[in-house]
Amino acid sequence: MSEHIKEKETLEAITTAFEKVNGVVQRDKRIIVRTEAETIPGVLLYAKERLKYNHFSHMSCVDWIEDKQFELVYILWSPEDKIQLIIKCRINRENPIMQNIDNIWRQANTYEREIREMYGIEFEGLVGAKEFILEDWEDMPPMRRDFDTKEYSNDHFFDRPGREDAKDVRTEITERSGEEIPDFAKKYTRD
Amino acid sequence: MNINPKIDKKDSLTISEYIKNFARKHSLFVLAYGTGCGAIEIPPTMTSRYDAERFGIRGAATPRQADVLLITGYLATKTLKRVIRVYEQMQDPKYVIGFGSCTINGGMYWDSYNTINSLDKYIPVDVFINGCMPRPEAVISGFVKLQEYIQEGKADGWLKYQNNIEEYRANQKRVIKNWRMPDYNW
Repeated sequence: MSEHIKEKETLEAITTAFEKVNGVVQRDKRIIVRTEAETIPGVLLYAKERLKYNHFSHMSCVDWIEDKQFELVYILWSPEDKIQLIIKCRINRENPIMQNIDNIWRQANTYEREIREMYGIEFEGLVGAKEFILEDWEDMPPMRRDFDTKEYSNDHFFDRPGREDAKDVRTEITERSGEEIPDFAKKYTRD
Repeated sequence: MNINPKIDKKDSLTISEYIKNFARKHSLFVLAYGTGCGAIEIPPTMTSRYDAERFGIRGAATPRQADVLLITGYLATKTLKRVIRVYEQMQDPKYVIGFGSCTINGGMYWDSYNTINSLDKYIPVDVFINGCMPRPEAVISGFVKLQEYIQEGKADGWLKYQNNIEEYRANQKRVIKNWRMPDYNW
């Protein structure tokens, strides 16, 4: 089958140009590349200048608390080939520092400021590294998975009586579908 | 701070109070300010199909011209700060309608870290409209309820706010940690 020709060409170009880069053509018009944090600016610049992935769609972060790592996800789009290129790297969860890429795409600055505030990841030389969306926030960065939003809500806001009888239906649902509640989710009970 | 003396509630209204309340209830100027997703229900309420203007409900551009503050939906802690400032700038008598289940008990954002759960701890609410979202019929029925309360002289949330300002301030400062707000003198 002559499928994914363009995708495979792109992936091969990236993997031959850089060491320690591996990737996969996930499906039609979508490539996922995993690399290390040091090579991220190089890969992004290469994709932008050589492979015409000149649209920076999104930048996001995933908290892998079990692996003690943060995963940063950069999503690029090629308007010419109509292919989405997803570049991922993992950094240490303790004292997370990442390279700043807003000299490649200026709009990355906004995403970096948001990630800095919501996950507590510091970007080297980030312009405007101050309060962004949250106002007067003193607690842990709220999008980290060890931040207990229910507890914070109980401490800071007023609950109106009458919600106590809300039933926890997760056990029922998991039994019905023959699954198990994952360990990290067991602490979120309504009891 | 100059706080108005407590007004004793009489059983029956005087003629002048009756006329004042009658005039007030038929000219409710609603501040054009939407805080959450509920603001999308206001255009159909105001426009030709449901036509809220037949009850005397219409929009006002600035807080100083408005009588009713409509809190449409969830209220983030950032927005609460603005809402308090808006509410304190409004002229007496002023009324607050809590709109949607988010203002009553947090709604689907009941465990969120940045939305408050019950609005009436921070500013006095005269009428709650429940639903997620309330349809324009429900909105109009809430306004009609508010008109009844105004006519009976029961919509006295603004007096409650003046008389219990310390309590409300304490609750507000629990959420808004860095308090940089002007103190208004009523």
